[in-house]
Amino acid sequence: MTKIYLDLLPALILFSSFILVSNKRIASYIRTFRFQSLLIAVGAGVIGLETGRIDVLLVCLLMVALKVIYIPNLLNSTFANVTYKVEKDFFFNIPILIIACCLLVVFSYLAIPTADGIINVQVANLVSAVLIGLIFMITRKKAFGQIVGFLVIENGLFATAMFATQGLPFIIDLGMFIDLLTAVLVMGVLVFRISDEFDSVDVNRLNNLKG
Amino acid sequence: MNSIFYLAIQIAAIVLVAPLVNGLIRKVKAFTQKRTGPPVLQMYFDLYKLFKKEAVVSEVTSWVYKVAPYIVFATTLAAAMLVPVTTLLVPFGFPGDVIMLIYIFALGRFFLALAGLDAGSTFGGMGSSREGMISALMEPAILVSVFTVGLISKSTSVLQMMEGSKSMGIPLSHPVYLLVFLALLIIIIAETARIPVDDPSTHLELTMVHEAMVLEYSGRHLALMELGAAVKQLVLITFVVNVFLPHDQLLSMGGPGVIAISLLIYLAKVILFSVIMALIEVNTVKFRFFSVPNLAALSFILAFLGFLNQFVLS
Repeated sequence: MTKIYLDLLPALILFSSFILVSNKRIASYIRTFRFQSLLIAVGAGVIGLETGRIDVLLVCLLMVALKVIYIPNLLNSTFANVTYKVEKDFFFNIPILIIACCLLVVFSYLAIPTADGIINVQVANLVSAVLIGLIFMITRKKAFGQIVGFLVIENGLFATAMFATQGLPFIIDLGMFIDLLTAVLVMGVLVFRISDEFDSVDVNRLNNLKG
Repeated sequence: MNSIFYLAIQIAAIVLVAPLVNGLIRKVKAFTQKRTGPPVLQMYFDLYKLFKKEAVVSEVTSWVYKVAPYIVFATTLAAAMLVPVTTLLVPFGFPGDVIMLIYIFALGRFFLALAGLDAGSTFGGMGSSREGMISALMEPAILVSVFTVGLISKSTSVLQMMEGSKSMGIPLSHPVYLLVFLALLIIIIAETARIPVDDPSTHLELTMVHEAMVLEYSGRHLALMELGAAVKQLVLITFVVNVFLPHDQLLSMGGPGVIAISLLIYLAKVILFSVIMALIEVNTVKFRFFSVPNLAALSFILAFLGFLNQFVLS
């Protein structure tokens, strides 16, 4: 049962990254991020229970508390004060973005080092989830898309570490979480201030302030 | 001689169960809205009533208008012969019949679109053009999905695909099958004109796609169109449910009793899948029409990822 879940986890994470890219509604970004974090946290819990390592279990609980409960609620409460609910403007339209992300997946299949010529499909799927989060972050004009993209990159990195090396040393995980929490708090406050001051969260318009 | 008997059971099973799926979906939707809703057998009564009524034919239409309902129903019946409800009873099957399945549906859809244009009303023309766009966008996704399943079972015949997935344990526990299943779920929603692509119970003509094309029909023509749509829905559901949740490997060999049990398990699987479709329909809203390409791109990419995984893993 647990082996089935760990086999399916990279495919499900890739699936949730593609749902993220094909969305236009900001509430859906936050909900998809929550779903993805829950998948990864359950995966971490399963690995911790199987190998019997307490630190992996602690990291799983920390992840649930932070990325499934606290950060999405924080984003939702910041988002409630903003007037834009759906993104209308894109640099590239969504079908082209989805095809570009698919090319990224193919690229990561070819670029991840292989063992005796056999491509490691799981690690390649998770690395491509990181790259898809990166594309998501740089092609969204509104600040919320960029924040969620940053969080998805973080998610993908954590999942890759979990699969490739059965977890990072605990102190490094703690450091990553503290950095993440600080970054999200700062970004949340910034977005609130930007929206308050300029009545818009389109960060492209900040270019008008240049000399 | 046996194959004619199997053919009769196959067609009877699909045509008789098809209106049940619609009734079940409407019942589940009503329950989630705290209503009782119409009875589950309502569509049978509707079809009976429509067959008794007189068909009103507009004077400005051509032969396409009169012929289209029969062609639509005939193509869906022909498709129903190609997808067996249980692998114990197979009337036909030949390599490549999954391609024929897809393009038989395309033939029916072509005549449906022409019939929508034939009466000269604006709503019909709009429905036809929208249907053309949706089906053009969904076609690569369907082809890549069925070809991936064919790659795994090393054949392009529907029967071989069903047989191939019987020996796989739980098919949905393999990442390739899971990705292709998710792609096919989106495709079924688009092909059977359900929310989020097209609301089947809307009365606003500006938002209709499938309903706008059959707007001019009445009497027995309308009954044939509705039954054709229901049979198409059940054929697609049968394909998905028999490939991804095979049940025949659980039955030990026996006589005609085994066939009856197999048909009952098939009915249970169809009911389960209808409830899943109804829950999806309840929890989403109908998309703006120009957001449908996003959905089509998502389903194509999921099917393509399944194909990539399969290609790499073997």
